[in-house]
Amino acid sequence: MIRCFHMTCLLLFLLLTSAGCTDFVEPNQLAFVMGTGIDYAGEEMVEVSQQIAIPSQMNAKGGSSGDSESFIVVSAKGKNVFDATQKIQKKLSRRLMSTHRALIAISEEYIEKYDAKKLFDKLNRDPANNQRDITVLIKGSAKEFLKIKHPLEQLSSIAANKELLINGMSSFTTRQFIIDSATEGTRVLVPLLQIDNDKDKGKDKARLIQSSGYAVLDKQLKIKGILNESEGSGAIWMLGKGTFQGLTIAWKDGNGNLSFRLTHLERRIQSVKGNDPKHILLTVKAQAYLLDNTTPLDMSEADHMMELKKYLDEKIQTDLQDIMNKVQKLGPDIFGIGEYLHRKHPYWWKSQREDWDENFKQIQVSVKANIQIRSTGTSANQVR
Amino acid sequence: MDVSTNIEENEAYLREQFHHCSDFIIRSFKLKDDTLLLIAYLDGMIRVQSVEENILKPLIYSDSSLGLDRLESLTERIRSKWLPLTKVETDDTKDKLVQHILQGCLALLVEGEASALIAQVQDFETRSIQEPRKEAALRGSKEGFVESLRTNTTMIRRRIIHTDLKTESFTIGKYTQTEVALVYVQGLVDEKVLAAVRDKLDNIETDGIIDSAYIEEWIEDSSFSLFSQVQNTERPDIVTASLLEGRVAILTNGTPFVLILPITFWSGLQSADDYFERFVFVLLTRTIRYIMTFVAFALPAIYVALSTFHPEMVPSYLMIGISTARESSPFPTFIEVFLMLFVFDALQEAGVHLPNQLGPVVSILGALVIGQAAVEAGIISTPIIIVVSLTGVASYTIPRYSASLPFRLIRYLFLGITGLLGFVGFAYGIIFLMIHMVMLESFGTPYLYPLAPFDGKRIKDIIIRYPFWVLNGRNKKGKQR
Repeated sequence: MIRCFHMTCLLLFLLLTSAGCTDFVEPNQLAFVMGTGIDYAGEEMVEVSQQIAIPSQMNAKGGSSGDSESFIVVSAKGKNVFDATQKIQKKLSRRLMSTHRALIAISEEYIEKYDAKKLFDKLNRDPANNQRDITVLIKGSAKEFLKIKHPLEQLSSIAANKELLINGMSSFTTRQFIIDSATEGTRVLVPLLQIDNDKDKGKDKARLIQSSGYAVLDKQLKIKGILNESEGSGAIWMLGKGTFQGLTIAWKDGNGNLSFRLTHLERRIQSVKGNDPKHILLTVKAQAYLLDNTTPLDMSEADHMMELKKYLDEKIQTDLQDIMNKVQKLGPDIFGIGEYLHRKHPYWWKSQREDWDENFKQIQVSVKANIQIRSTGTSANQVR
Repeated sequence: MDVSTNIEENEAYLREQFHHCSDFIIRSFKLKDDTLLLIAYLDGMIRVQSVEENILKPLIYSDSSLGLDRLESLTERIRSKWLPLTKVETDDTKDKLVQHILQGCLALLVEGEASALIAQVQDFETRSIQEPRKEAALRGSKEGFVESLRTNTTMIRRRIIHTDLKTESFTIGKYTQTEVALVYVQGLVDEKVLAAVRDKLDNIETDGIIDSAYIEEWIEDSSFSLFSQVQNTERPDIVTASLLEGRVAILTNGTPFVLILPITFWSGLQSADDYFERFVFVLLTRTIRYIMTFVAFALPAIYVALSTFHPEMVPSYLMIGISTARESSPFPTFIEVFLMLFVFDALQEAGVHLPNQLGPVVSILGALVIGQAAVEAGIISTPIIIVVSLTGVASYTIPRYSASLPFRLIRYLFLGITGLLGFVGFAYGIIFLMIHMVMLESFGTPYLYPLAPFDGKRIKDIIIRYPFWVLNGRNKKGKQR
């Protein structure tokens, strides 16, 4: 027993000492990539920019007001993302670590001129990628976007990530992007960001990030059209990806405005007229909280509430129908109606899927809204 | 060798045996009829006043008036008529006589008699009953065991007033002749365990038993295990509760620490207060204790694994925070954690050995020099100080000191293997630990019982202490184990 014990000790000691070089990496040997920018760089070339956090500058005491920046942006051109990243790696003293990435910014130019499907193979195949990061399109140069100094956040990529999350849009992750683009019956809607041009904010280099709408992509991930901010939020509701949003509508005959906060956004797709795949009913649901009322309506009266609900339903219905018609005119089915039909009418779908972007235009989609007014606030009619 | 009828011969024998023993006192005196008597004892071990009052006075002053007939043995006569003492024995052999004197009895030899009277008048200075320092409870008895075996057995006797409470006596140690009592409740105890313990106690061959820890090492089955298979306690209430749970207690003369066996892993994580506070609150304290027990051995390893092997598993902001703190660290994380753990254990060891007056010195050195200065000098990074301190605090949430010792060792083993292999190593560590604990037995009871093997009835005392009225294995069925 004692001999056995001694042998075990000796073996353990030898194991520990002979192993010597192990495969651990200290945090100060790593470069944390917080954002990746992808730009077009000529024929079959891509320019990759990595935004790398500088830990020694991140938590500097007394605020990060010094001249030193808390990040650097390193870029290189290559045949593909991996090739360019390798070139970046060669310039750096630390190993690139992309698992903490918060944002992938793709320039509008790149996605127009290059086959973006090839880009996402690396993102999907390589297990070292954090697919929880958010994919956005950038108007202008993604490299410049990464370089801006955000007045609130230390890194622009984290700022963009937070901006989307805080506004109730948590479903634009890279993972979701890949799933949507791989699914036959769904097309991708992707946020389009731009640098805010208002120069009055903060110091000279500080800029806010502004959403400038949403890009509707087709099967080949080419931009088919841009939805503006309000159209975008309606589309997101109909996509089933939104969680909450604000809404302001005008009352009949320009008689004041009503503002609501909508929560519990839901949508449902149904076939109407029996089994006709060409007629689709899309029902949206939400719970509304009245926050602002400049109309003559007295909310303590049940009649007025009924009237308001009816008006609200109609208003939302027509607004969303307009957006639906606009998207249908563009072609790509961002709502996943194709996917619904795929399940509901699998044989019919086989004849449609080859050219779904075109066929979607022929589908008649009607939008129906059912809003539940949960609260009309603490006062009955307007404070006069 | 029998006691001689010749009193001079006896005296010579005793003087020879106790040669060079300065505390040995032998005194001769005569009765009124000139019969020579001899008393022998060890100074300081008897109640002198009692001896004078109860032995010398009646013998010297009273009129013995034995008369002419010495038909009756004088020894017998003294024993039955003149000594107002409860415990008086008669010894026939010289060996026994010497043994009794060594134990602090008074020996009385009478001229012409082949036997000696032994009066049990032992009295020596002992510590009074105090609150146990190591196992203080917020509520409950403030009594703690003392060094005297007899006092300790009375403390148990007073709590279990039943004839089924048995105390078997053993004498162990060639020189120390330590008295050891095996205490159990007949009917509740497992006879197999009892037989095994008796057998083991009988087979101890040693020069001396200084403390119950010696007995613990002699009787436990797996000496090489990190985990103790015998519990030690200073609290009579814990011993009483254990006896009623069907366990065996071993009391040793000369130490306040009583051994309890068989035990399970869980008994190390239970404190007396668990049974004195409301059970809902105990749920909280036990949960904290179980989590902290895990933290006590695993946290340094987990930190090393996460920050150097799997940084992708750490939330982004936390990881940047960690790497900010570690930006200028000269040593690898593994070495740093190891160093700090080592320093922490060194401080602990120093704290135990320092005289009371120097205690603050260590705290100042530890807190200021090693804590603050090392961080400010950039040798040690702050997260590691946090990890090591948390680990240290966690190991003190384990109520029994000896139950926390294995985790202090396992901590290093886990750190070592994790520093080599990352989380894979951690998994290996957990697997080996589990295998060992499942295989370990304490006198026939599996160490993880009642969790593995699972026993639905007894488990009610492990995670949640159910209220006492809930059937927990024994309450209603009486003697069922």
